[in-house]
Amino acid sequence: MGFFYIGDEAAVEGASHGADVAVIVAGGELDFAASPQIRERLGERIEAGVRHLIVDLSGATFIDSTAIGALVAMATQVDELDGGSLLVVCPDENRRLLRIFEIAGIESLIAVHSSRAEAMRELAVAG
Amino acid sequence: MSTAVEHTDAELAIGDLRLPAQPAKLNLAREYAHHAAVAFGLDADRCYEFAFAVNEAVTNAIRHGRPDAHGDIHLSVSAEDDRLTLSVRDYGTFSGYAPIGAIDADRGRGFMLMTRVMDAVQLCIGAGSTTVRLSKARL
Repeated sequence: MGFFYIGDEAAVEGASHGADVAVIVAGGELDFAASPQIRERLGERIEAGVRHLIVDLSGATFIDSTAIGALVAMATQVDELDGGSLLVVCPDENRRLLRIFEIAGIESLIAVHSSRAEAMRELAVAG
Repeated sequence: MSTAVEHTDAELAIGDLRLPAQPAKLNLAREYAHHAAVAFGLDADRCYEFAFAVNEAVTNAIRHGRPDAHGDIHLSVSAEDDRLTLSVRDYGTFSGYAPIGAIDADRGRGFMLMTRVMDAVQLCIGAGSTTVRLSKARL
C-alpha cells in the first residue's frame, strides 16, 4: 500500500475565526486508497462545526482525481454553509502537485495558497 | 556514428503485471508504470505524468470495471519507435464515462486528466473486456 497520512493540527494561534478553523494535514500518496479517508475526516470536521478548512498538502507527493474529487466535494459542502470555505495549502516547491491542479483546472473550484500563513491571511480578509 | 540508444520491446524487458483489483495496490501500478517509463527513457516529468495517467486508468478499472477470475487487472507495456504504451485491461462490460467536461464528476475528471498528460489514450471495448491504452512519446 502507498504511504499516506491525514492528521489534525492543533488550533491555530491568533486565528480570528477561532474554533471555526481547522487545519488538516494530508501527505504522502493521496490516491483512491486515501481519498475516502480524506472525505471522511473533512466531513467530520464540518459536522463538528468547523466552517473554514485549511488542507495542508505540503507533504503530499501524489494526488489523483479521486482525492481532488474529495476536496472539491468538501469545498462545495462547506461553501453551502454560511460563509464557509475550504483552502488548500501547497508551496511553490511542490511543482508536481501544482501541475496536477493546473491540469485538473481546480483553481476555479478551490483556492490554493502557497503557505498556511497566506491561507490564514485570506481567511482574515474574507472574514 | 550515431550514439543514440535504440530501445526495443526486448530491451525494455518488462513483463506483464497482474494486479489485485484493490485500492491498496495502486502504488504497485504506479511503480510498474514509472519503472517502464524510466527504462524507456522518458524524462523525469514525463515519467511522473505517465505513472499518474496509469494510476487513473487502474483506478477506473477497480471502481467501474471487473477483474479476471483471480481478482486481477492486467497491465502490460510495449514500445514502438519513440512511443511507450501501457495497456490496462479489465473484464467488465464498459458502460460509458461521465461527460468528460463535467469537472465535478470523478470519473469524467479521471479520464480527462489521462488525455491531458498522455499523447494518446485509446479505449478498446471488446466482448467481455475493456482495455485502455495509454501512450507517451520521448521528446
